[in-house]
Amino acid sequence: MKYKLVHKTEYDYPELVTGYQSLLCLVPRSLPNQHCEDFKLEIEPAPSDISERNDFYGNTTHYFSLNRPHRKLTVTATSIVSRGSSTIGSAVPISQITCADARQLIKQDRALRIGLLEFMLISPMVKWDQEIFDFAKDCFPENGSLYECVTQLSQKIFSVFDFVPHFTTVNTPIKEVLYTKKGVCQDFSHLAIACIRSMGFPARYVSGYLETVPPIGVLKLQGSDASHAWISVFIPDQGWCDFDPTNNLVPGERHIVTAWGRDYSDVPPMKGIIFSSGKQALTVKVDVIPLE
Amino acid sequence: MLTEVAANLIREYKNSLNSYDEILDPKGDIKPHWKTLFRNLEQLGINDLKLRNNEIIGKLRENGVTYNVYETPDGLNRPWQLDPIPFLIDQAEWLNISKGLEQRAILLDLIIKDLYGKRNLVKDAIIPAELVFGNSGFLRPCADIHKMESNLLSLYAADLARGPDGRMWIVDNRTQAPSGSGYALENRFAMSKHLPELADGMHINKLSPFFHSLQQNIIAATESVTDSPHVIYLTPGPNNESYFEHAYLASYLGYTLAQGDDLMVRNGYVFLKSIDGLQKVDVIIRRIDDEWCDPLELRENSRLGIPGLLEALRMGNVKVLNPPGVSVVENHAFSAFMPSICKYFLQQDLLIPSVATWWCGHDDVLDKVQRDLHRLIIKKANRKSKYSTIYGKLLTVAQRKSLCAEIAERPYEYIAQEEVRLSTTPSYVDGKLVPRYAVLRSFLVHDSKTGYVTMNGGLTRSSPFEDRFVISNQNGGLSKDTWIVSNQSETLTEKITVPFKSIVNKHVSLPSRSAENLFWVGRYCERGISTIKFINIVISVLNLDRNFAGSSKQEHIKILLESLTNLTDSLPGFIHDPDLFGRPMDEIMDLVNSNSRSGSIASVASNFLNAVSSVRNQWDIEIWRTIDMVENALKNLTAQKGKIELQNNVDNLYKGLFAFLGVVTETMPRNKSFLMLDTGKLIERILAKIHVIQWCFSKVHEENTESELVEAILLNHHMLVNYRQIYKSRLDVNSMLDMIMFENTLPYSLVSMLDKLFENVSKLPKVSNSERINETEKLCLEATTLIKLSSPEGLAEGNLFGERTALINLLYKVTALILSVSTQLTNQYFSHSVMQNSFLQNSEDDEI
Repeated sequence: MKYKLVHKTEYDYPELVTGYQSLLCLVPRSLPNQHCEDFKLEIEPAPSDISERNDFYGNTTHYFSLNRPHRKLTVTATSIVSRGSSTIGSAVPISQITCADARQLIKQDRALRIGLLEFMLISPMVKWDQEIFDFAKDCFPENGSLYECVTQLSQKIFSVFDFVPHFTTVNTPIKEVLYTKKGVCQDFSHLAIACIRSMGFPARYVSGYLETVPPIGVLKLQGSDASHAWISVFIPDQGWCDFDPTNNLVPGERHIVTAWGRDYSDVPPMKGIIFSSGKQALTVKVDVIPLE
Repeated sequence: MLTEVAANLIREYKNSLNSYDEILDPKGDIKPHWKTLFRNLEQLGINDLKLRNNEIIGKLRENGVTYNVYETPDGLNRPWQLDPIPFLIDQAEWLNISKGLEQRAILLDLIIKDLYGKRNLVKDAIIPAELVFGNSGFLRPCADIHKMESNLLSLYAADLARGPDGRMWIVDNRTQAPSGSGYALENRFAMSKHLPELADGMHINKLSPFFHSLQQNIIAATESVTDSPHVIYLTPGPNNESYFEHAYLASYLGYTLAQGDDLMVRNGYVFLKSIDGLQKVDVIIRRIDDEWCDPLELRENSRLGIPGLLEALRMGNVKVLNPPGVSVVENHAFSAFMPSICKYFLQQDLLIPSVATWWCGHDDVLDKVQRDLHRLIIKKANRKSKYSTIYGKLLTVAQRKSLCAEIAERPYEYIAQEEVRLSTTPSYVDGKLVPRYAVLRSFLVHDSKTGYVTMNGGLTRSSPFEDRFVISNQNGGLSKDTWIVSNQSETLTEKITVPFKSIVNKHVSLPSRSAENLFWVGRYCERGISTIKFINIVISVLNLDRNFAGSSKQEHIKILLESLTNLTDSLPGFIHDPDLFGRPMDEIMDLVNSNSRSGSIASVASNFLNAVSSVRNQWDIEIWRTIDMVENALKNLTAQKGKIELQNNVDNLYKGLFAFLGVVTETMPRNKSFLMLDTGKLIERILAKIHVIQWCFSKVHEENTESELVEAILLNHHMLVNYRQIYKSRLDVNSMLDMIMFENTLPYSLVSMLDKLFENVSKLPKVSNSERINETEKLCLEATTLIKLSSPEGLAEGNLFGERTALINLLYKVTALILSVSTQLTNQYFSHSVMQNSFLQNSEDDEI
């Protein structure tokens, strides 16, 4: 599939803002099954400087700063992405490595473990305790296939938790999500990562987009798509495998990967510092438009 | 030769020892330089030592050397504690120690570069990967900000203590923003001034070469800068416990003291917001921790850092000492691996040992810790976690068990250390010499020519408690001067030597924030003076009335009391609460010492002290002495119980504030700092005087009342004596107005004050060179012209209703103009200091 992605962020300030410093993480990654053919960034008012770099995880970020006073800021990122079929293709048989073997393998292979370690430890937004471990435990029998176990966990989160927008914020702790059984994709991803890491396996946070398909007969609304988040788990013999616990499916053609990190705090799409004493209002519109 | 008495003093001290002490060598004999010190102490006498010690305490207080802050409106700075007994190290031994310290600094620099670079230490299994990826000091955004070809660890501090083997051990490391070198310098100044005899017969190394090397490092770092480099000393601000040191070092080194929001990043460069506009910054010596340096990429709720700083570093447009990210090696777990890291990088053994440390992340270590917990100390590897050191021996069996379980949960987060007995050193406590545990913080700086240079001295801190190894400045620990004693002849007096390459500071600029604080120092000082002056006038009028048994007419007293409420803006007061006239002193007392009441003398004086301490680096010792007067007077004022002390305490405060203004006016260079302070003072004085005139003379009163008011106003303007010389005893409104408003030879007349204000604002920096006369000057000019064009006769006259409309209108207009001057100054020179709001995108709005 080929998509045109439009991610438009608008800030409205009731009081004059004299300066702005920002960091964006909006460029889709280029991967074996995903190719970013074009990326364009439009910022209004025009920034005084802008620079691009790859962060610690290889994600492409943009830094820009604005020095002139303004009351409104619009950042529009437009990309053309071609996306191959699912990460876990049917061509390659899924690894059947058991949890016990996987754990052993990661422990023994020093070089492998060094690369995976930071996705196994606690991170700024992913911490766990006995309760989270207990929640995950029954999905991970020692002789079960790790891939199957993660699928089980994804299934469990999908069935036990309700998707409720606005119920949580970016800073809601995982434990609260576990108690209230409500949240959004970011919460479910963080919970899944905490569960998997508590069992001793590496998991990372994936930020990206998902094309939504309206019910038959309903016209798709502009700006109705959204940024999305899911997880990726390292399965020895197989590599990183994506799972979407929010929708209980294996990310495929409709999932477009922007960035990954230990958790959300490594890859927020846009963050910044404004110089103003006033408040701010934010609207984000995302369109995932199929081109083929 | 030891005298008999000296031998007694030593013997007495030696007998009090119950552990290994600094004065003894491994054989148990007294080290030669300690003998000399004890001889000097004996010659001085323990009673004299007490006197000198009090002198030092007083001096440090006067110099404003503090470690603590104004936490509450009435909270006072806690003076720095200096023990008059120095900590001595023989130069021969020190030479070896500094070699070891230099080796350690080189090593840490190599580790930092490796961890943010290829991470060979991990790949080659010298350290476990947890020391990087589980290390809260490993800041991923900093992975590409460092210039690996140059030295990263420019400043380094290590805490040393003598171990049971008689060697100095490194017990802790500071890499991100090492503190203490300024206190070391101040201690040395105090000791060489007040106890020079203690050094008789010894040669003590100087501290200044260390600071000289720091300046050389900065010059070398900015070789590409053609003009002289602009260096900022970045402080978290006056609320930081060691703010004194930041201000002290900034002024000693000649760098601009600034806070994070005095600086901004624009087009990849860092700029200082000054009253002259934006000025490019070349080097930042930072005293804020790693995480707080850049709220954009690091800790997002930091208000101390500079958003965009990491990007400016990546572009190579600014140098930060030390660069953010270096705290990665402050992680305690590194102690366990230092010997092998040293072999790996330098093929050497460590010259200075660390306390035996084990990282619990290894399975066999975990077993050992669980087995030997009773004789170990447990710490979290990450220094940032709020986890205090646990002494295994102090735990019950059950507690040990639960601690073991906690460690087993995430073993890689813990380290275990051997509990060792460190040496004690003589300390002067409660008039006696007693042994106390001590830690020496030593300082190193990288010099581009010679490599690492160790300060020949340091900051020794001793535990305030006997037998306890608790050393922190917050806990009331004592500090000591540290003497590296040699046989070479060197003098004790510190001199700043001229560096190889002369440093001319062409960047004498006033940060906008400092300008604003100076302006408010001037305003609060004058507000205090004006209020006290008027209160004194009111009190003497009240006393006079009492002397005549209340027989005099009351009208002028009522007007003056109301005027006081109006001046201090303390409604309801006498204006809305007529009951108060029956007991005026109660309300006046409250206006004097009620700290919580805005407009009261006590609250104005605390605001003054807060503003003063925010621009600490502006004041010299003479000025500090007057600030001290204000601080003491305020303390007595708020502590007073009865009315009798009131007058005395208020007078002392008045004297203090006046002395401050006097010394400032007599001694401060006529630079922008002075202009800001003086302008604030004038604005406040003009407004205060007008307030009183307005309230007293808006209406025509009975003749007796008017002459009483005229006398009060003349007193308020310091003109009564002058008036009497000219007009004798006739007190009329006409002549008074002529004098207080138009007489330009009198400093408290409105025209004099307005002319002076105009003169001041015309000297302030202009927005552009083409600007002849700016908005502020126009406002002043208008105010002074309005007065000059009016006549005293016209102003004194009342209309049919007895209202002095001409006077009211004129003073109303002048007040409005002066208030606009204040606003205009704020907009033009201080407006840079705007708040910053940080946020993460609220993603829940749009995510699935």
